Amino acid sequence: MTHSTPTVLLTLALLLAGPAPALLSRARWPSRVPRAALVLWQSLALSALLSALGAGASAGAMVVAYDHPSVVLVVLHASALLLTLVVLARLLWSAHVLGMTLRTRRRRQRHLVDLVARTDGRAPGVHVLDAGRPLAYCIPGLPSRLVVSSPALDDLADDEMTAVLEHERAHGRARHDLVLEGFGALHNAFPRFVRSRTALDSTSGLVEMLADDAARRRAGDVPLARALVRLADAPAPAGAMAAGAVTPAARIRRLTEYELTRRELTDAPVVTSLAYLTAAALVIVPTVAVAAPWLAAVAAAL
Amino acid sequence: MVGRTRLGELERVIMDQLWTLDSPATVRQVHEALSDSRDVAYTTVMTVLDRLARKGSVEQIRDGRAYRYRPAVSRDELTAELMHQALDTVDGSDRMAALLRFVGSASADDADAIRAALAELENGRPEQSPGRAESDRTDGTAGSPP
Repeated sequence: MTHSTPTVLLTLALLLAGPAPALLSRARWPSRVPRAALVLWQSLALSALLSALGAGASAGAMVVAYDHPSVVLVVLHASALLLTLVVLARLLWSAHVLGMTLRTRRRRQRHLVDLVARTDGRAPGVHVLDAGRPLAYCIPGLPSRLVVSSPALDDLADDEMTAVLEHERAHGRARHDLVLEGFGALHNAFPRFVRSRTALDSTSGLVEMLADDAARRRAGDVPLARALVRLADAPAPAGAMAAGAVTPAARIRRLTEYELTRRELTDAPVVTSLAYLTAAALVIVPTVAVAAPWLAAVAAAL
Repeated sequence: MVGRTRLGELERVIMDQLWTLDSPATVRQVHEALSDSRDVAYTTVMTVLDRLARKGSVEQIRDGRAYRYRPAVSRDELTAELMHQALDTVDGSDRMAALLRFVGSASADDADAIRAALAELENGRPEQSPGRAESDRTDGTAGSPP
């Protein structure tokens, strides 16, 4: 067991980092049960990361298993350990840099909004900007701020505005910004030629769907769809297209495809349960089956 | 003591004041203009002006032993900066949006697809009139604008 540990973990890490995200991003069921799918994405990322770090650490530590290791062996194992530390350091650095950048930009946004936005009786608690284009967004933070431009406030009917505000409040309540920040940090940590935007794009789409579902519950499908049409209609200046895998049209089509149920478990119990089970297994099984015996073996060898 | 939200609100009121004035104002002038409408201490006004200066929103001009303050940017410029940041969500694949927009801007092609999708949603549910049927159904939930 001990000698195969690095190989098993490395294989697992490669599977979880390559084919698994590709499959999951192409699957159709996540848009039906976005919450379960988001949990699965998070567990996939965590498991891939722990497997990769575990593979490096166990390979590096394996050198203690030899009675008289040659110089080549020692160098080889030390390199594995070093690589692992580099990966870990890059990850921590990337998380730090992204966190600082986002917080600085959000602080500036909050400051500016506090200076120039006004309140409006039609949308209590919302910061209204007298700007030229219809627009609605949320500045994440505690508390998050909802910002709406005056053309948006003028153009949208009451129930459409309710849908918009509930969508943004759902982002703030569920701290979707933190979920995306985690995937952003993970994405930025890897060199340009190996990384892909799959996980980041898919999870960005899923949080939009979750917020859409909150808006449907409060305002209904049609007002939400109309609000999407009105606010997406604004002609985009070149280079300002929204990123992400889910287009406004896809979000509206999703409203037609899936009826909203009170809880996703009652809607698609099998799919949801399988997603949660897989998510739990991804984190627990490698830990129990691979890492724990290896740790025990190392402890015994020492 | 003055809470953080109160300071934020004062920043806004003081900026409004400076924007309406033609010439750089002293702390005393700002304080006097404010004290008509609210109970605020002179030192608080000074603190807030100092905060605004550190954030780059006002400029301090030395005038003898005192400072005079004037807006570093106009209200329109600040609004433009906000809008620019809000719309400019991606200018490279590495950059992550700091804000969560309700919906991104669409191209002309997307706009057609969006309208087609809406038509399908509205036609697929003939029991609902295009009016306010949806909101009537979910009426009674708290938080709707009046």
